[in-house]
Amino acid sequence: MVLDLTMGMAVLALMGALATIAGCLEDLETDVGSQSNANSQVQLAPQMGFLHRIYNKAISGEPVSYGFSAVTGATVTTVLLNFRLYPLTAITIGAFIAAIIYGVFSTTAHAGRIASQSRFKQPLYMDMIRYTTPTIIAHNFIANFCLIAIAYLQFTMLGFPFPIPFLALIWGITVGCIGSAVGDVHYGGERQYQNREFGVGLNTALSGRIVRKGESGLRSSIDNVWFCAKFGGPATGIGFGLVVFLTFWPVIIFRGYTWNTMIAGFIIVVLMVLLNRLLEVNIKNTYGPYKEDKIEKEART
Amino acid sequence: MSDIKDVPPNTLTLFGIIGGLVGIYLSPYFPTAGALGAMCAVVWGADAVRRVAKYGLGTGVPSIGQLALGMGIIAAMFSLALTRSVTLAGPILALITASIIGLIIGWLAQNVIKMKIPVMIRGMTEIAAAGVLIILGYSATVAGNYVFAGIIPKVFDNGVILAIFWVGTLAMAHPFNACLGPDERQKRLLYLAVSTGAITMTLMGIAALMTLGVSGVYTIIVGIILWLISYKKFWDEVYKDVASVLGTGLLPKTEG
Repeated sequence: MVLDLTMGMAVLALMGALATIAGCLEDLETDVGSQSNANSQVQLAPQMGFLHRIYNKAISGEPVSYGFSAVTGATVTTVLLNFRLYPLTAITIGAFIAAIIYGVFSTTAHAGRIASQSRFKQPLYMDMIRYTTPTIIAHNFIANFCLIAIAYLQFTMLGFPFPIPFLALIWGITVGCIGSAVGDVHYGGERQYQNREFGVGLNTALSGRIVRKGESGLRSSIDNVWFCAKFGGPATGIGFGLVVFLTFWPVIIFRGYTWNTMIAGFIIVVLMVLLNRLLEVNIKNTYGPYKEDKIEKEART
Repeated sequence: MSDIKDVPPNTLTLFGIIGGLVGIYLSPYFPTAGALGAMCAVVWGADAVRRVAKYGLGTGVPSIGQLALGMGIIAAMFSLALTRSVTLAGPILALITASIIGLIIGWLAQNVIKMKIPVMIRGMTEIAAAGVLIILGYSATVAGNYVFAGIIPKVFDNGVILAIFWVGTLAMAHPFNACLGPDERQKRLLYLAVSTGAITMTLMGIAALMTLGVSGVYTIIVGIILWLISYKKFWDEVYKDVASVLGTGLLPKTEG
């Protein structure tokens, strides 16, 4: 521990803010490209005869692809820091190179998947690649910048013993997991099935029957970000921000890795488990099991 | 999955093993050779992933890449540490160790977990062997040799090994993941494997700037040239395979 309490709190606040931005942008970026579990519906759609104009980016799952992008950027940053560049410049260039590489992987993922669906007559729209890929790169750049900056602060200010690529990789995997768990619901369940009643669940027969038409013209991947930016993205941001904040809060308050820190961390975990349980019970009591509505009942009888 | 004749697995296996080992052994004289060797292993590994994952491992594709490189790191470090006095034996021992670990894991997956994938045992062995060559090849490019005492300070201490592990994983797993679908073709996948391998090579060149200086520049230049060629070739294959390429426009009227 190299910081006093005030400075420690300032660094903690900065890291929390960076994490919130990273989480939000990570979720929105994966929504632009329909990555992760929402991707399966985009992949299935042509097979069900639902041709579309939505980006099908299957680099890999979110944790793997964000670990990849963060570790790439952090490696470049480490090299540049070694050449005595200013940290801000080094982080920016590192994040930029990682975002470009990520963009290349996005194009190959989309083109490869569309080419492998040729029997369903899914066309490859070139304009879509041209305007969606820069959006992916831009979102990814900001997320990378924040992740590498968190790793840098952790390494230099908080004195962590691990190298920057290691820390960035861990944060990349974490933000990918949170984006996948928190944000995807708002794209997959809500946006792709906007024509169904909210909360009906996804029947197997509906697989691949995604909404393809927008408010005006055909729905594009950019429309999906606009929708997800209202709730899914910020929710993911708060999720990741809280993870980073609550991880470091005991370390700052109790000055380093003492037993008090461990106990405080343990208490936070127990509180979280209790809160989750209370929330679950509350939801079950309020909404209960799924009830058939009138139209469904009539249709059945 | 298609009727077009594929490159047989044995040819790719030989290409991967010979190319990989030659590259690693040449790396003390010319560090870029290590990455070229690793790229041979990436192409071989991508095809091995394709053969195993064709049996319906959708989300399991990146996981199998992680598993491969995980086995690779263990085998590489174990063998290099063991052969500190006879450094020439290191890469070959690492290849054998990884193959044995892969064989055991493949056997467990087939007979204990009962995954019922006919090519599982051979596939896992190949994937592990390709994984160790990827780790050693790219590490040799960054460290300038393949000995334990050289790799630890130049690749492990500064965290570059994590880039090799994670980016190498995607280099191997991404080609099949990106080409997944009923009309997947081997040729397109192999070009993509060269492309992802070349991107990893370029990144290793950047890392080598820090550890070796000017030889990193050669690695970056060779990596970018190889990437440009393979990326172009990949797109040529995409244009050949895809149903139709449209500049823009509405959806065709074939939907149900």
